[in-house]
Amino acid sequence: MTARSIGVAHQIPRNSLALLMIAQVVVVLPLAPYISPWIVGVCLFCGYWRTQVYRGRWGYPASWVKTFLVAAAVAGIALSGFQSFSLEAATSLLVVAFALKLVEMKNRRDAYLVIYLSYFLIATGFLFDQSMAVTAYELAASVVVTAAMVGMNQLQTRVRPVASLRVAGTLVLQALPLTLVIFLLFPRIAPLWSIPVPSAATTGLSDTLTPGDIASLGRSDELAFRVIFDGDPPRQSELYWRGLVYSDFVYGTWALAAPLDALPRDSLDAESESASLSYEIFLEPTQSKWLFSLDTPRQYPDRVDLLGDYRLENPEPVMSVMRYKVISDPELSTDPVLDPAIRERESRLENPNDNIRLQAYARDLYERAGSVEAMVYAMMAHIREEPYSYTLNPPTLARYDSIDEFWFDTRRGFCSHYAGAMVYALRSVGVPARMVGGYQGGEINPVTGHMVVRQYDAHAWVEVWIEGKGWQRFDPTAAVAPARVEDGLNAALSSEDRETLSFLSATRMESENVLADALRFFDSLEYRWNLWVVGYDVDTQANVLKKLFGEVTPSRIGVALVLGGAVSLAMVVLGLFFWRKPASSHPSERVFSRFCAAMSRHGIKRLPGETPVVFLERIAEEKNIDVGILPELVQRALYDPIGSQQRSARMNLKKELRKLRFRLALG
Amino acid sequence: MPTSQNPGSAEPGTPSLKVSAGKDQIHQLVVEACTVLNGILLGKETQVKLALACLFARGHLLIEDLPGMGKTLLSHALARVLGLTYNRIQFTSDVLPSDIIGATIFDKNSGEFHFVEGPLFAQLVLADEINRATPKSQSALLEAMEERQVSSDGTTRRLPEPFFVIATQNPSTQAGTFPLPESQLDRFLMRIELGYPEPAAERELLMSGDRRAQLSDLPVVIDLPALKTIQEAVDAIKVSEPLIDYVQRLVGFSRQGTEFAFGLSPRGALALLQSAKSWALLHGRTHVVPEDIQAVLPSTVEHRLRESADFAGHSGGALAQRLLASVDVVA
Repeated sequence: MTARSIGVAHQIPRNSLALLMIAQVVVVLPLAPYISPWIVGVCLFCGYWRTQVYRGRWGYPASWVKTFLVAAAVAGIALSGFQSFSLEAATSLLVVAFALKLVEMKNRRDAYLVIYLSYFLIATGFLFDQSMAVTAYELAASVVVTAAMVGMNQLQTRVRPVASLRVAGTLVLQALPLTLVIFLLFPRIAPLWSIPVPSAATTGLSDTLTPGDIASLGRSDELAFRVIFDGDPPRQSELYWRGLVYSDFVYGTWALAAPLDALPRDSLDAESESASLSYEIFLEPTQSKWLFSLDTPRQYPDRVDLLGDYRLENPEPVMSVMRYKVISDPELSTDPVLDPAIRERESRLENPNDNIRLQAYARDLYERAGSVEAMVYAMMAHIREEPYSYTLNPPTLARYDSIDEFWFDTRRGFCSHYAGAMVYALRSVGVPARMVGGYQGGEINPVTGHMVVRQYDAHAWVEVWIEGKGWQRFDPTAAVAPARVEDGLNAALSSEDRETLSFLSATRMESENVLADALRFFDSLEYRWNLWVVGYDVDTQANVLKKLFGEVTPSRIGVALVLGGAVSLAMVVLGLFFWRKPASSHPSERVFSRFCAAMSRHGIKRLPGETPVVFLERIAEEKNIDVGILPELVQRALYDPIGSQQRSARMNLKKELRKLRFRLALG
Repeated sequence: MPTSQNPGSAEPGTPSLKVSAGKDQIHQLVVEACTVLNGILLGKETQVKLALACLFARGHLLIEDLPGMGKTLLSHALARVLGLTYNRIQFTSDVLPSDIIGATIFDKNSGEFHFVEGPLFAQLVLADEINRATPKSQSALLEAMEERQVSSDGTTRRLPEPFFVIATQNPSTQAGTFPLPESQLDRFLMRIELGYPEPAAERELLMSGDRRAQLSDLPVVIDLPALKTIQEAVDAIKVSEPLIDYVQRLVGFSRQGTEFAFGLSPRGALALLQSAKSWALLHGRTHVVPEDIQAVLPSTVEHRLRESADFAGHSGGALAQRLLASVDVVA
């Protein structure tokens, strides 16, 4: 089909075309970080091409060109290095198809297809990010796309993009109540097929730990999770958020060992109810299964397992904000009798020839100290007394004998250096010990009272098994930098360390700051968003439905959906009905309008074209009442150029109108 | 005196308002003029008042009706009562612009060219059956109406002051007519229809014979200085904000309603307001009330409106009634 054969009736209006171009940029923009950069280039080029077609400079592509472009795009995506069938690859394909469709868009039917694709791309954006900012952005994007659709139906003679946008904005606003009803009530059915999840790695702890890792996290102010406590939160120095237990050490790298079996549920719950901490965590996506909790979880969600090393594990990786409730008991003693397999696992040295100096030092220290606890305290005293220092920028260590190098030579390190050295020393004398990774501390947001834990709170510490007491937590970092544990990272850093932090995280750490206040406020908004919107999952919905209807049956949900839909639509209709009448700007006119409204309740309704005087005369006639000088008063207060400016004229009118209403009420 | 009710231009709901206390000489003059004119054209009080209001507002008047309804009589009487020089141009399809404006003629005796003024050079011109003329001649007249001057052979000549045109028009459905286009209709401040007289008035007419004979005996009620004073008084009439809002609502309604082929222009809005001021003066008020606007609205807007469904005609009558009934006087 050539361009000439398209009738004028099927042409895409100029207004709509411009809005479609803008919409293309708007809907592709949030996806840009997840797709290949060359696809963004393709989009821009296609937009340029379509503009040139509109200007009559270039033609539409021939069909062999189209075939070639599609083949080239598919091949390009295949070669872009995405995992096959990954979400990124699928999204890239969708975006390329969208861009190419724009070039061959000739008539209205094509334009509608592009519009529906735009809506689909908006929905796709939520697969990657569901934060409040993105939601607000996609809402605005949907207004632009809707405006393009409105523009399709405008008269050719009235090309007004702003008017289209206003109509679209109204439409989207009117859709909100129904959206809310469907969001709350529509059954959340588990998908029949699995949705591919984004595979891009995010910052956070990983299942292996080299001493430099946590230092790099210290430079990130990304959110790790938010917590809300039932009751007062514990002291800062008690907030050790356990997430990972590193049991294996192979040449400079700590790693998770093979996972232990899950502990039987309620095995801990039976014990004392003494000191319990109840809290709810909103974990940001980690792409991993581990969950964070305080020592020691006693109650946790049904789907989650408590593994043999007392860490919580989700059955599948956490891909969107996950919300879970935990009750922990800090007093609970874990493993009072140690299983031999675990003892073997937690006290072995994989490479007995590595770090020989430290092994010798440990054996000597253990002999002198006499007990495990005494040895731990001796090591902490050693750290405190010798010139060890705490820094985010430690010297690089060799792969072999790295702990020796740190402990005896460089003496500058981060929490994982100290924890690693202590675990290694304890293991070299056969004491079960392990390195625990997680977060330490957290910042209370004063707006909503929740706690925010960020990546720079990442921390590593030591757990030592002591006969009769079970696993005990020791933190050698407290010896070198007590402030880190008491007051957070900022307090523990030297000024040169602080300079390496990004501007944003530096301001965030200073509490007396307007910007910091604003950031805290936005954090509180995001927290509420997670609490009410993102965290509204199948379970929460079931609870809400149970509260609303008692028993949840499909028919009740159906009725509720219909009723809710009807009510929300009725709200829109009523809103339109009442919003239409603008209030008059003139005070005397308002006085008279109120009188007319009162009269219409009495059964005499003023007709639109009826002037005040005629209306008053009709009242006089129908109700057989004397309206006296009211006609003159109303003419004076409303229409006399001098009288209409006078307050006295208005007051007079008001008084006389009230008298008339009183007399009418008396009959 | 018996009141007339005319279907075309009814005067909606004039209230029995007392005339304001400052009833001065102007009002007396105006009332007297009305009385004299009503004695000639029987039973057409409203139309007489509208015609006077139109002239007081410095506007040109279009009278549309069938032949023999008194159009010429009214215009001639107006000229007499206002003491204006009067010319009548009978339009036919072969009238040329020079027949209206005048032409430069060679004088054989003096050997010079002289401009001979056409019938347009009068203070009140009756353009009879304007829609029988070709568009060329119509536009010559309408240019003169707008500019109040004419150009001929490179010389611009001012027309007398004051200058009024009263054009009469047969309903455009009659054969041999060239309907005026919208742009030219817009030049007329008002369009009125006379309509058949009431039986009582017609009886009086039949009993007393033709009124034309009485024309020459009519007194000059308002002389030129008085007319100037009245015109200035019209300009000085005040309009309050709620009424400006009302006019804006009227104009806005005509621009948005689907039954209107096009909305009222700003010139139309000005014409409405100016006519309402003039109407207020005729009733002895120093400011406009909504009744004034409603009274002059049909005459000032009907010829400026056209129904969407009606491609040829100028059937604004129903639309004007719709404006009156639908637009809220008090917001």
